[in-house]
Amino acid sequence: MIKTACGIAALALACCATSGANAQLLTTKQLSLPIAVTIAQTAIETCKQQGYNVSVHVIGNMGEILVAMRGDNTGPHTMENSMRKALASRGQRIPSGQFAENVAKTPNAGALRLGNMIPARGALPINVGNVTIGAAGASGAPGGDKDEACVKAGLDKVADQLK
Amino acid sequence: MSQTTCRAAGLALAATLAAGFVNSANAQVLAHKDISIAMATTIAMTAIDNCKAAGYNVSVHVLGRNAETIVGIRNPLAGVNTYENSFKKAYTSRTFRIESGKFADNVGQNPVAAQLMLANIVAARGALPIKIGEETIGSVGISGAPGGDKDEVCAQAGIDKVKDDLK
Repeated sequence: MIKTACGIAALALACCATSGANAQLLTTKQLSLPIAVTIAQTAIETCKQQGYNVSVHVIGNMGEILVAMRGDNTGPHTMENSMRKALASRGQRIPSGQFAENVAKTPNAGALRLGNMIPARGALPINVGNVTIGAAGASGAPGGDKDEACVKAGLDKVADQLK
Repeated sequence: MSQTTCRAAGLALAATLAAGFVNSANAQVLAHKDISIAMATTIAMTAIDNCKAAGYNVSVHVLGRNAETIVGIRNPLAGVNTYENSFKKAYTSRTFRIESGKFADNVGQNPVAAQLMLANIVAARGALPIKIGEETIGSVGISGAPGGDKDEVCAQAGIDKVKDDLK
């Protein structure tokens, strides 16, 4: 009898605890327009100074495009490529180059069957602390490492605001 | 006989000239002036800042000669439809080479306007063609203000900012 009562009490508590958790709203950080534009412009200008024209995408927490910029005289694929690199980075929460290395060992990786993720270096996640809230990707430089360096410059520019 | 020869020679000459003319015309590449990323970004940010100053958060697209996106900026504080809508307005303005509001006026009285059945065409004010003289080289579209007229004012501010370079 006492045991049953305890069981019911425990269930009631579990029930309330769940309700309480559900009732709380999620508090998340979102990239603002000025931050996203600064990242994109800085990346493009950094690559430009090094002699490369790149296109850039900055995407938000749900993979939504915040900024899309087509570099002067870039190849037509660079817009799609920069977006897909960014989406891979946001989805995996790691640099898209790291994703490329990971899946190179597993050619049938399920992630490659998802829409838009591409195993190519040139995108970095945008983090607040350990939480990924978006990503930025570049395409057009002769090598994903060079794309990535320009994206890094963009993220460095706003590092103080990512908190 | 001599008349026939003469006519044949004339035809041959005409054909040669025509062929030569066509060849030489085909051999020339088209020379274009196109919107740079710097100009597109200036137009976009000026439009956003103008609307912001007026109290509105807007998204913007600047398109190039082939209606390709040069700059697309989603305003996280604007409605979720505004990114798509600003693109469609701009696409409409670019392809018809007129204000998207003018296009909306044109088709407003025609419930079966075929243009509206084409992809990406929208009958809504808020986009303007970007021109060098009479030549349309792109467009800018805005969405998010409470009224296409207010979107259009910001688009105009963006174009005005770079008007000295549109030549």
